[in-house]
Amino acid sequence: MNKLIKPLHIGLLSLVLISTSFVANANDEPSPEMPEGIIKLSKADPARNVGFLMGDMLNRTITLEVKKPYKLIETTLPIVGYEHRYKGQVSGIELRKISHSTKENRDTTTYVIQLAYQVFTTAPVVKPAILPAEVVKFQGPATEEAKDGLVQYKIPEFYFRISPMAVFGAVKIEDDMSPLRQPILLQPYPEKQKLVACLIVLGLSLLGLLYILGSRAWLPLMGRPFAQASRQLRKLSAKDPEQLKTALSSLHKAINTTAKYSVFSDNIDAFLADAPTFKAIEAELAQFFALSHQVFFDTQSTASHDAKSLVWLKRFCKQCRDCERGLKPAKLKKA
Amino acid sequence: MSDKQLTDMRQHAQTLETEINKVVVGQQTPIRLITTAIFSRGHVLLEGDVGVGKTTLLRAFTRCIGGGYQRIEGTIDLMPNDLVYHTYLGEDGKPHVSPGPLLMSGENLSVFFFNEINRARPQVHSLLLRVMAERTLSAFNKEYHFPHMLVFADRNQVEKEETFEIPSAARDRFMMEIPIVVPDDNAIMESLVFDTKFHNVDALVNTIQADVLQFDQLNAFSALLQAKIEATPTLRQYALNLWRATKTPTAYGVKVSGVDMNRLVLSGASPRGMSMLMRAARVNAWLNNRDSVLPEDIHAVFHSTVAHRLVFSPVYEMRRTEIARELLTGIVNAVAAP
Repeated sequence: MNKLIKPLHIGLLSLVLISTSFVANANDEPSPEMPEGIIKLSKADPARNVGFLMGDMLNRTITLEVKKPYKLIETTLPIVGYEHRYKGQVSGIELRKISHSTKENRDTTTYVIQLAYQVFTTAPVVKPAILPAEVVKFQGPATEEAKDGLVQYKIPEFYFRISPMAVFGAVKIEDDMSPLRQPILLQPYPEKQKLVACLIVLGLSLLGLLYILGSRAWLPLMGRPFAQASRQLRKLSAKDPEQLKTALSSLHKAINTTAKYSVFSDNIDAFLADAPTFKAIEAELAQFFALSHQVFFDTQSTASHDAKSLVWLKRFCKQCRDCERGLKPAKLKKA
Repeated sequence: MSDKQLTDMRQHAQTLETEINKVVVGQQTPIRLITTAIFSRGHVLLEGDVGVGKTTLLRAFTRCIGGGYQRIEGTIDLMPNDLVYHTYLGEDGKPHVSPGPLLMSGENLSVFFFNEINRARPQVHSLLLRVMAERTLSAFNKEYHFPHMLVFADRNQVEKEETFEIPSAARDRFMMEIPIVVPDDNAIMESLVFDTKFHNVDALVNTIQADVLQFDQLNAFSALLQAKIEATPTLRQYALNLWRATKTPTAYGVKVSGVDMNRLVLSGASPRGMSMLMRAARVNAWLNNRDSVLPEDIHAVFHSTVAHRLVFSPVYEMRRTEIARELLTGIVNAVAAP
């Protein structure tokens, strides 16, 4: 009995060794390429191909639909910890997880392979990297090219870029016009800032215009003496000669209030020294006092008791109002 | 005809000022004020240190307006009769009486200069007041008239010993008080010291044109001038406001530094003073070729016609000049026209 069992064990052992050597041979040796039309590939790569940093995971799902009788040799699938090399150098991309499922169809077999790679490399600048083209083998019928029926299929590689952990030195983006890089979008912030600045300037300009042209007391600094006099003069009509006196009195009052003392033609210089903004209308001030003298103190003169004088006084008042506000007044024609 | 008279006389007045300015340099403002007083027929109180040219100024004016010029020095022993006559023993051994300064020129007296009036006794002041006010004097049972006389008195403000302050009633008779100060201009000061023409006052005064004006026509012309130069209601109201302000400066918000305004003024300007102010203002308007008085004409004579009339509390009398100047400036600044 023992004599019968021993040769059986040896035979089984031999078969196992033969089978193992066959598989090892199937994994290592290159095989002929899969004939066209046998396999159909669909894949789901990472959504982006740039911006990966050390430690990031990249997941691929490879779906292979293979016509029967071809069958995937599962031992040719890459194993966890496998690290791709290029010209003897490790690429720094390591397979961290792999799983696969098989679905039998009527004429085909569908293999769904889940691959998870992890990045273990970095560089001072953006570095091109690759998820390697994995080669898997199928057992099919013997053919002339593949007498043992073994054929291989190369799953296409996936190109991506690894970003540096920190920016090294000055980066000029124009020198790195990679097609992998997304179009650089114009940032709207400077334009927004310019728009806001323009709106502020416009608003201030409108306020300034309102200040210059407006004569309302509710505006800031609008209750000053000449602003008040301007409002009073606007109500006066040239038809009534007495209103010229009213206008002159209002202006005298405004000048005196501004100076904080009574201003006459013999102390205009002192007034101009105290209120230098009125120097621009020195000649008009002298003309104003001359008109006042004619109206109030000259018993003979009636020449200036006319409508023109009142119109001139209104313009003169606006000049004074401009001086009061520190603005440069426009020149007047003589009354 | 009267307009032509005004124009002609204005030219004479300008000539008068030009001539006086030739011999009294750097005193344009006092010369303008004295010219104003002459045409207003008002007496003048001169205020200033000794040796500033007051006598020269008055002699020059006298030469230009003609008439007699008399001068007397105020001393503590001066008596009223010293102004009227002198008594002396003549060569014949008998007592004689000769006219004093007031009577010497008779009715032709045009300028009477009383030097250092505050050294004279109040009796002398009293006599002078009557002469100034009435331009008459009773002596030797006779009434003497001085229709063309203008009194110019000098008051030494620095020395107080052996002086008798002129009472306010006496001050009020003077139309103006005019300060005579040494000019501050270097060239004028140098000229006064080194120019030999100033050494001999007689020769200096003789260089100017004599009788530019006719002293005996000035009264009539002054009346014409006062009638011709007008004052509008606005101007009159302004003058009245100024008058009120001299009486109650606090009502116009006038303040003087370091002075209790409620105690300062005992009496403001008198009606006579305001009348004199307006007379002088009219003359100033005429001198500036105007037919109507302006506030600026009043300003030109306001200090000189009003300051010496104000009566202050005794505690402030020592600072009279300084306080009066600040008070009147404050009044001009506070009162508006219109």
